[in-house]
Amino acid sequence: MKIVYPVTIVISFLYILYGLIQVYNGFVEWWLPWTGLEKIQLGVKLAGTYIPNSFPEPFSGIFLIVIGLVFLKATYLYFKRDEKYRGYLLVGWILAIMMLVLNVVVILADILDTYYPLLWGEEVEEGWTLAGDAWGIAPHLVIGVIASPIYFAVKDLIRELIPG
Amino acid sequence: MATIRKFIKVALAGNPNVGKSVIFNNLTGSRQHVGNWPGKTVDKKEGFHRYKDKEIYIVDLPGTYSLTALSVEEVIAREYIIYEKPDVVINIVDASNLERNLYLTLQLMELGAKIVVALNKMDLAEKEGLIIDVDRLENELGIPIIPTVAPKKIGLDKLIKKTVEVAESHKYSGKIIRYPSEIEKYIRLLESIISETEIKRIYRVRWVAVKLLENDSDVIEKISKVEGGEKVLEKLSEIRRDIENKLGDPEILIADARYELIKDIISKTVKGVKKLTASDLIDHAILDKYLGIPIFLTILWWMFQFAFIGSAPFCDFLGDLFVYIGTSLEGLTGIPYIDYLLFGEYGIIQGLGAILSFVPLIMMLYFALALFEDSGYMSRAAFVMDRPMKKLGLSGRTIVPMIMGLGCNVPAIYATRIIPDERDRLVAILTNPLITCGARLVLFSAIAAAFFGPFAGDAVLSLYLLGYVMVFLVAIVLRNTILRGRPSPFVIEFPVYQKPSFKVAVVRMWDRGSLFFKKAGSVILIGLLVIGLLTITDASTFMFTDNPETSIISAIGRFFQPIFVPLGWDWRLIVAAIFGFVAKEIVLGASAMLYGVGEAEIADMMASMYDPIDIFGYLTFIQLYIPCIVTIAAIKQETGSWRWTIFAVVYGIILAYIVNWLVLIIGHGIFG
Repeated sequence: MKIVYPVTIVISFLYILYGLIQVYNGFVEWWLPWTGLEKIQLGVKLAGTYIPNSFPEPFSGIFLIVIGLVFLKATYLYFKRDEKYRGYLLVGWILAIMMLVLNVVVILADILDTYYPLLWGEEVEEGWTLAGDAWGIAPHLVIGVIASPIYFAVKDLIRELIPG
Repeated sequence: MATIRKFIKVALAGNPNVGKSVIFNNLTGSRQHVGNWPGKTVDKKEGFHRYKDKEIYIVDLPGTYSLTALSVEEVIAREYIIYEKPDVVINIVDASNLERNLYLTLQLMELGAKIVVALNKMDLAEKEGLIIDVDRLENELGIPIIPTVAPKKIGLDKLIKKTVEVAESHKYSGKIIRYPSEIEKYIRLLESIISETEIKRIYRVRWVAVKLLENDSDVIEKISKVEGGEKVLEKLSEIRRDIENKLGDPEILIADARYELIKDIISKTVKGVKKLTASDLIDHAILDKYLGIPIFLTILWWMFQFAFIGSAPFCDFLGDLFVYIGTSLEGLTGIPYIDYLLFGEYGIIQGLGAILSFVPLIMMLYFALALFEDSGYMSRAAFVMDRPMKKLGLSGRTIVPMIMGLGCNVPAIYATRIIPDERDRLVAILTNPLITCGARLVLFSAIAAAFFGPFAGDAVLSLYLLGYVMVFLVAIVLRNTILRGRPSPFVIEFPVYQKPSFKVAVVRMWDRGSLFFKKAGSVILIGLLVIGLLTITDASTFMFTDNPETSIISAIGRFFQPIFVPLGWDWRLIVAAIFGFVAKEIVLGASAMLYGVGEAEIADMMASMYDPIDIFGYLTFIQLYIPCIVTIAAIKQETGSWRWTIFAVVYGIILAYIVNWLVLIIGHGIFG
């Protein structure tokens, strides 16, 4: 179980880092377009897009930072040997999984939105591509996957809440 | 020689969920009756228990956290003890949660009631690692304490035996609650003034003194009617002012002193560290002083993104479907006038389709909201928001109607009944229409999608936030002017977290969402029909026209245009806003009809005429201006006053106009 906490530190760092990048990209695209500042991407370029794709969205960035801070507080309390760390870890994990699910819903909805006209025989002018998707595979999904094994550190709490 | 009594009157008092009903049922068995408290819709349970030659009449008082008269339940419990004078009050206390429960015990002691404490849930307390020194606790409080485990009937015989003993004794053994000396001197001063009046014949003098310092409106009202009461109240104002200047708010000082006393008692009588449950652990994070509100906002953002993006393909599909239906049915009636009214490009199908295509969005938002409600999170959200809300002049209880207002302002206004203080409630009613209801969401999401692309969700969220900011600003103004005063304290019991039920979420989603269908089939349809008729009737000849520019509706819009010149609206936007008075959904349907386009094109059409700042300004106006007609009726019903109803309408229009104008000035100032 001790391995969970170094991992939690890394996860909190990733959430805060990618959150800051999204906030920055959001500012550049939304409010400071005249500055000509370049947007930042920190990921692997695949199929014409970055994975993870830090799409410009300041609000999304702020909320990634919040999740990072929740994990950070869990780690802080763990090192202080305060039992309450488990609550923060569980809440951080729930938020991380919610963001992961949201990213999957976004991709599925975009695919559906592109192809539903086929239902009545219309042609689709431009098919769905990962590069064309507004979110793509965002930090929400990538860090969510990395954070999902935290389940094993909080499963006793989950079982207490949801017996069976 | 002690008098032998055959009939003993006992009241059961305690916090909600302490096992009071279990004790009542175990004591009375089948000899009980459920009715209503006179003039109230609160259950009154009464029954009998035979003990040796004694017949014990037991009344189960409503569960309360305190006796501050902030709710109907508190008033019932308090008045029963004062006026009905039970021989004994059995105070049921949750042993696993002493700190919260003893607050009521102290208030019962102050009231001068003869008390026996049933220290219930002892098994749970032990399981949680708590060891309670019952003898010491009894000594600290000066009242008998009997440990019980109600479901297993453990301790109930002893409880009854002790109750009879206390009823038959003539002494009150409970200790007098002493406050810190700086407060105590004011209590004694008031006591001496009260003792010179008739009040002492009706009430316990010390209790009245404390309640008056706590600014208890119910006690103040009752005292004012007693001979000598006016004099006491005059002196009270001076004393309260003096305390406020020297020490701070007397109500908070007294509550703090009681909690200090409770902490002291617990430190002497309870050993062991309470084992935290999963719910407790989650609450530490969810209610975190610094992270609680950001977590709440994260969840709110998630809900909106989930609903907006997840519903987009279904909304688009429905929008296309209505255009297809309209086009396919063209020429069906064979009467050009009717055909045009129903299926034409300015027809009702276009308008109705524009509205109904947003059903998936509304359903998904309600579904997500229901999931969080069912999980037990929403009551925590209310608590987290209590502190900032209080600073901004709103009672923490207002969060419930505020969250309901996200669906519809009408049930939200009725939900303000949970706010006991009349002024708190008025502030909540008058500000609720500023919260974005589902009807406004329909318009916002349609327009935002065209103007703000993938950031439509954020644009709409900003309108939601604007609504909330305005709620707080208006509340501050009201609280410092015509509704001067401080919000009442907020007590809430958190339900245990649970896995949200999919079935429950679907049922709630349907209950709330179906209102939208009913509205679409009645008020909205009639509104659109009227707009349709006015759009196809020529203003000068009163004959059919397919040119809206010469129609009656255009004449109406142009008549009001001078007022809206600073906001840069054309007559169509004016007409749509006017008809939004009937129902806010109509703004979108009317716009679709007036611009002669369907759901898919309405926003694009607007985009060709206005820039994003103009249209965002218009949306802020729709967000804040007059509530719809049904909401106005609800405001009238709940305030019982035309004055407040007219006030809600007028201030909404003025506020909306100013905010729209400011958006244009600031927006164009920054972005050109």
